[in-house]
Amino acid sequence: MKGLLFDIKELAVFDGPGIRTTVFLKGCPLRCSWCHNPEGIDPKPQLMVSYHSCISCGACVLACDTDANANLCTACGTCVPSCPLRLRRIAGQWWEASDLAKELLRNRTILEKNGGGITFSGGEPLLQYAFMLEVIKNLEGLHCAIETSGFASEDVFKTIVDAVDFVIMDLKVIDDAMHRNYCGQSNKPILRNLEYLKRSGVPFMIRIPMIPQVNDSEENLIATADLLGQAEHLVKVELLPYQKTAGAKYEMISEEYRPRFDVKREPNVYTHIFIDRNIVCSVG
Amino acid sequence: MEQRIENIRDFFIVDKKHHAYRQKQLDPLELTRTLEKEHLDDVERAYRRLEWVLSHEQPVVFSDEQITFVRTVCEVPEIFSEREWDTIRQKHRIHEQGKVSNINCGYMSLIDIGTAGKRKEILTARKTYEARHDKQKVAYLDVLLKVLASMEHFSDRYREAAQKAGNTIVEESLSVIPRKKPETMLQALQFFRLIHYCLWASFNYHNTIGRFDQYMYPYYKNDIDAGVLDEHGALMLLEEFFISFNKDSDLYPGMQQGDNGQSIVLGGVDEHGADAFNDLSKLCMKASLELKLIDPKVNLRVHKDTPLALYELGTQMTKQGLGFPQYSNDDVVIPALKRWGYEHKDASNYVVAACWEFIIPEVAMDIVNIDALSFLQCVMDAIETLDDCDTFEQFAKEVRKRLRVRVAQICANTNGIYMEPAPLMSILMNGCIVKAQDIRDGATYNNYGVHGTGLSSAADSLAAIKRYVFEERTVDKQRLLHALSTDFADDAQLLAMLRYDAPKMGNDDDFVDDLATQLLDWFAEAMEGYRNDRGGIFRAGTGSAMYYLWHADELGASPDGRRSKEAFACNFSPSLFARTKGPVSLIKSFSKAHLERVANGGPLTLELHDTMFRSPESIKKVASLVKTYMDLGGMQMQLNGVNRETMLSAQKYPDQYRNLIVRVWGWSGYFVELDKEYQDHIITRMELDM
Ligand code: SF4
Ligand code: SF4
Repeated sequence: MKGLLFDIKELAVFDGPGIRTTVFLKGCPLRCSWCHNPEGIDPKPQLMVSYHSCISCGACVLACDTDANANLCTACGTCVPSCPLRLRRIAGQWWEASDLAKELLRNRTILEKNGGGITFSGGEPLLQYAFMLEVIKNLEGLHCAIETSGFASEDVFKTIVDAVDFVIMDLKVIDDAMHRNYCGQSNKPILRNLEYLKRSGVPFMIRIPMIPQVNDSEENLIATADLLGQAEHLVKVELLPYQKTAGAKYEMISEEYRPRFDVKREPNVYTHIFIDRNIVCSVG
Repeated sequence: MEQRIENIRDFFIVDKKHHAYRQKQLDPLELTRTLEKEHLDDVERAYRRLEWVLSHEQPVVFSDEQITFVRTVCEVPEIFSEREWDTIRQKHRIHEQGKVSNINCGYMSLIDIGTAGKRKEILTARKTYEARHDKQKVAYLDVLLKVLASMEHFSDRYREAAQKAGNTIVEESLSVIPRKKPETMLQALQFFRLIHYCLWASFNYHNTIGRFDQYMYPYYKNDIDAGVLDEHGALMLLEEFFISFNKDSDLYPGMQQGDNGQSIVLGGVDEHGADAFNDLSKLCMKASLELKLIDPKVNLRVHKDTPLALYELGTQMTKQGLGFPQYSNDDVVIPALKRWGYEHKDASNYVVAACWEFIIPEVAMDIVNIDALSFLQCVMDAIETLDDCDTFEQFAKEVRKRLRVRVAQICANTNGIYMEPAPLMSILMNGCIVKAQDIRDGATYNNYGVHGTGLSSAADSLAAIKRYVFEERTVDKQRLLHALSTDFADDAQLLAMLRYDAPKMGNDDDFVDDLATQLLDWFAEAMEGYRNDRGGIFRAGTGSAMYYLWHADELGASPDGRRSKEAFACNFSPSLFARTKGPVSLIKSFSKAHLERVANGGPLTLELHDTMFRSPESIKKVASLVKTYMDLGGMQMQLNGVNRETMLSAQKYPDQYRNLIVRVWGWSGYFVELDKEYQDHIITRMELDM
């Protein structure tokens, strides 16, 4: 079975315990206004160009048979090797599950010796859950983690949570209207899945991107903390202040970054709300 | 940091207030002219130089310092005029500046017995030679005696100045040392400072510090046991001592500001294989972490039993952005040195020279950077035979031959080295007094080290030829040769393919990594069997020093898609345009070669984005990566936490980045004080490793 990846990253130091390699699966059902990996959203391959270094030589235009401006581009990849500066690439490569597992296992000894393993991220990796399952099966017991928004059907969520050793789950905002507004979907499935995660016995971590005036209020964090309660296997909560460089990649996929919040504001980072409730909390 | 130390740091480092005492009007040529006129021999001249500097010094003792001595003489005179140097050059090879440099002397051999004890040693030897009527040897030993007297006299003048300044601590120290053995660690450090000061004043340079945590330990232990010092007090002392390395460093000779060779080595195993990292080593780490100064440059010796915690401490230091510590692996280095004929005891005691070369304290007069082999040059020397080669193996054989030719030339070219005598250094080196022979004439070990530059570019070039010309046959020989001779002017497609799509060293790809191993083996083999004219051997290495720019500048376009004159990577690192899969694959690639054969020194240099050092957890992971490299059999590593944006901004607004420190080739320096060429190189390096 094949899956669509847009990156593989070694020594991903913020994606779970130990030395890890993170696999980025392409496609996401949410549309978070602060997304910094826009090439992870579309579940299809897509052309990415580093326009800022382009010398306008025209070689790519000559190579393209589709006569494509960005809208018509089929991401066929013909123009990629034509660019003398290699500024073009196709984000989204199809990998056979067994081949991917083989590639990842090359570093197995080092990952295992350092208490690490593989993390599946995205996009939303649960979109390709069947592929992911097959890769995990082929990883011969190597420690696996998933980094997810939790947005998936109950069955899918359960299946994957039961198959991995560690879960990193995002909790963006508890108010459903806000969630619909800023992430494009209701958070009901997410909160339902969170309940399963709390019961599952799998160690997990909660990650909250701190977005100014969207979810950085005390109210939202208290609601989050209350939801988490004293979940036995919650390792910690990590607050990730919004990064001003989040918009960097939009131009590369010919899109415009249109955050619907004030990017210039510094978000509040109320770790104490969690710490007061005996939940380990840090700023990531 | 304690207030007193902060004040001293601000005074000397931030505000550089001591510069006000510098004597700008002194003319060092005055002495050079006198020496030329008097037709003195070089030993006498060397003594006269030290005496000139010390006697012109105007002692300045500050009221709240405990460790004194600061330079007011800005320039140390040459002992030969330009004309005399020309004559010497006609008969001799001159290495760098023609001075004894870049070795590690035995500070304790003087500190532990004082000048009085040393004088006795010299007099004993003098008696022997007098009995043999060996006038020359007697005369030499007399010079050594005069050197001791000069130091004593100079120190006495400082003692008087201390008294005048009401600084009783300094006054007290200087009434014990240098004549007698120090009674406390403070006095021992003061003595060290005096010796180091006098070495620089003798025009010796790259005066390395060595295994300070080992040789200073007895004084530390004594003071702690006797209750003279507690840990905190010792830390304060160390911090003041470390600051002293930065007081005059702008006056020290070097290629660029910061390249002054003040390397300190911490930890490692002892002669019996036991871990020697001690409380003093830990305090040295702490002092360096608190001070955030470029000197002394910390080298950590590690081995299979080094705990991860030490790597974590090291990584915290890296996080400061000082470009150190540099790590070296005892499990590789010690056997490698023994393979080259160093005694077990000596090999176990190795230290790091100015950059990364491994040297032995007190007993070695190795010149570890005598020359450099350009691997890529060897490939390019053979390129004209490409057309006649039917297989890659044939071509590889041609490369190997060219490499042997280059090595033979390098070795032959080392004959007849002349170096100025170094009487003070000789007092501090094993055997010089007994033999009444200056250290410039050799020690127990007299080996020469040869760097190897452009390894990754050369391996990538061979890989490209192997794959495209011989295996896939997608690139015609003529097309490649034409593109190389025209610097890819009319073949942008080929350039891009070779540059970006071809296999590159650093991706854990045996196809190219094996070629690098091959090149290193050839280098090692080619040098085996050669002897230098001091009876020493030649040691192959993976370092580059400034050769990575010089060699690259001499070379036209190469088959790895490198355009004419484009720089090599420095040291043992992937090429500047190799896009690697990541740090894990990278360390695997760079641990495959038979490093014990090419152990002159030269680290894998890894640039990690500074966000990787954000949390204690991520620091631990970076530390694990370093440890993993060593466990894989890596020899030496140096890593930087850097941010490209910061450096670009520093180029634009240097005033705001006065304190930005980066690692250059084997040493750290202030970014804004580097030539633009080096700045740009570091920025390019950054773009790819993130
Ligand atoms: S990927 Fe390139 S060649 Fe293919 S349609 Fe898009 S622009 Fe044209
Ligand atoms: S080929 Fe590359 S450099 Fe040329 S116009 Fe296209 S993107 Fe720009």
